[in-house]
Amino acid sequence: MNSFSIADELEQAVNNVLAGVETAGVNADLEIGDLVSIASELQHLPQPEFKALLKAELTGRTVSDSAILEPGVASRIEIATRVRRETEIPAAILPSLFGTNSDGYPQYQRSMAASLFMHVTALALVVVSGVWAARHPVIKPIVTARMISLADYPLPPSASIAHGGGGGGDHDKLKASMGAPPKFAAEQLTPPVVVMRNLHPMLPVEPTVLGPPDVIFPKMQTGDLYSKLLVPSNGVGFGGGVGDNQGTGVGNGKGPGVGPGSGGGIGGGPYSPGGGVSAPRPIYDPEPEYSDEARHAKFQGDVVLWVVIGPDGTPRDIHVQRSLGMGLDEKAVAAVKNWRFQPAMKDGRAVMVQVSIEVNFRLF
Amino acid sequence: MHLKVAENDTDERLLVEAAQRDPSCFAELYEQNFDRVYAFIARRVANREEAQDLTAEVFHQALAGIGRFEWRGAPFVAWLLGIAAHVMSAHWQRNPKRQEILAEDLELAGNDGSIERRAMIFQLVESLPEDQRLVVVRRFVEQRSIREIAQEFSRSEGAIKQLQLRALRNLRTRLRSHHEQL
Repeated sequence: MNSFSIADELEQAVNNVLAGVETAGVNADLEIGDLVSIASELQHLPQPEFKALLKAELTGRTVSDSAILEPGVASRIEIATRVRRETEIPAAILPSLFGTNSDGYPQYQRSMAASLFMHVTALALVVVSGVWAARHPVIKPIVTARMISLADYPLPPSASIAHGGGGGGDHDKLKASMGAPPKFAAEQLTPPVVVMRNLHPMLPVEPTVLGPPDVIFPKMQTGDLYSKLLVPSNGVGFGGGVGDNQGTGVGNGKGPGVGPGSGGGIGGGPYSPGGGVSAPRPIYDPEPEYSDEARHAKFQGDVVLWVVIGPDGTPRDIHVQRSLGMGLDEKAVAAVKNWRFQPAMKDGRAVMVQVSIEVNFRLF
Repeated sequence: MHLKVAENDTDERLLVEAAQRDPSCFAELYEQNFDRVYAFIARRVANREEAQDLTAEVFHQALAGIGRFEWRGAPFVAWLLGIAAHVMSAHWQRNPKRQEILAEDLELAGNDGSIERRAMIFQLVESLPEDQRLVVVRRFVEQRSIREIAQEFSRSEGAIKQLQLRALRNLRTRLRSHHEQL
C-alpha cells in the first residue's frame, strides 16, 4: 500500500472518528489503527491559543505580552475569551470585576476590589450625608430688635416712685449740705435732718424717707446727694426734711421722697417719650447674635431691655426686664450697648429718655 | 522529547514553595501540569469548550489556593486533579446532564495511563513541524474538511492528506520514543 492510499484510508478513518463513529476493530491495517487511536485523542486537543490565554490570565500579563503566540492568534484569543466569558453570567454582568483581561488590557482583581470599595464608600457617604442633612436641617437664627412702648412693659418701680421726689428744710441760712438720704421706708414717721434741733426727743425713731425699701443709699452723713456744701445744714426750705423746697424728704422737690419732683420716691432721672418729649430714633442698630447654647437647644423667645438713652444718643444703664436665659440676655445687652440713637428732644434740646427694647430671637 | 515534568519531587516542591511566596512563579507549575489537567477533564466532559472552561476554573482556584497547599509526598498534579474533580462535580450539579465522579476514578486519576498518553500527545503536537501542526489544528480542533484546509493553504487535497498522515506518524514515533525513555 503506497502512501497515497494510506493517506486516503487514514482520512476516511479520521472522518469516522470526528463523526463519532466507532472504529475499534474496523481498521485491519495495524499502522492505520495506531494512527487512528492518536487521531481519536487529537479530537480533544485544546485550542492552541487557549493554553497561552489561560497562562496570560493567571500571570496577569496581556495577551500581546505572551511570546508564545503565533501571529494572528491574538484576535482568535479574544474571540475565545469572549465566548468563554459569555458563558459565565457574572462575567457578562461585571466583566471588569470578575475578569482578569478585557480587550487585551490587564485587569487586576485587587485593583477592581479597591475601586469597588471606594465607589461603595463614596456612595455610602452620599447616602449618609443626605440622611444626616435631612435629620439636621439648617436652622437660621433670625434676631430682631425694636423699641417698644413703655405702656406695654411698665418699669418695675411705679411711676410715682420713678418720677417723684421730695424736699424740705427748716429755714436754715444755708442750703442743704452734702450727704446721703436715710433709708427708704413705706411709711415715714420721722423726717431726716442734718442738724438736730431736738437732742432729746420723747420717742426716738429712726428717720426715713418715703420710697421703695429695696433702694439703698450709701452710708454717710445725712444730706443731699447733689449738694456740694460741707457745712451741716438742713437747707433753706421748710417742712422738716433736708433740702431747699418743701416737705419732709431730701432734695429740692416737694414731699417725703428724695430729689426733684413731689410725692415721695426718687425724683429726677430721664424723661419718657411722649408729653412733649420725642422718642429717640435708632441710627445704628446691629442685630444681636444667637448664642450657641440656645441654637443647639432650639430655644427662642423675646428679651426686653430697659435702656436709658443719653442726650448724646448712646445707651446706658441697660437692664434686662424680661429674661430668656441660655446666653440670649447677654447677647441682647451686648448688641444694644453698641446701638446709637438720634437723641430724644424736649423743648428743642436733647434730653435723656428711658425706653424699652424688645429683642426677638427666632429660629427658622 | 518528553512530557514536561519536574526532575524529581524536590524540584516540584521548590516550585510550589516559590509559587506560594510569589504567585508569578505559578507559571512553571502551570506549564508542567496543564496537559494532564486538561486531559483529565476532557476525558469526562462532552466538548472542548466545556473542558477549557473547567480547566481554566481549576487553575484559577489552584492559584488562589496555592498558599494552602501542603506538601505530603503526593505529586502536585494530584492536588490539581482533586480540584478538577470538585470543579466538575460543581459543574454537573448546575448542569441538567449530571454525571458522577466515582471515588475510584479519582484515585486512579494520578496513575491513569490514558490521561498520561493523551496529555503527552497534546504536548507533542506543539513540537510538530509548523505545516503539520497547522493541519492537525485545522482538522481536529477546528474540524475543517480536507478541502477547506487545502483551499486555505492553496494546496491540493492530496497534499493535505499527506501532511495529516505525516503528522500522525510523527506523533506516533515521538510517543513511542517517549515511552522507551521511561
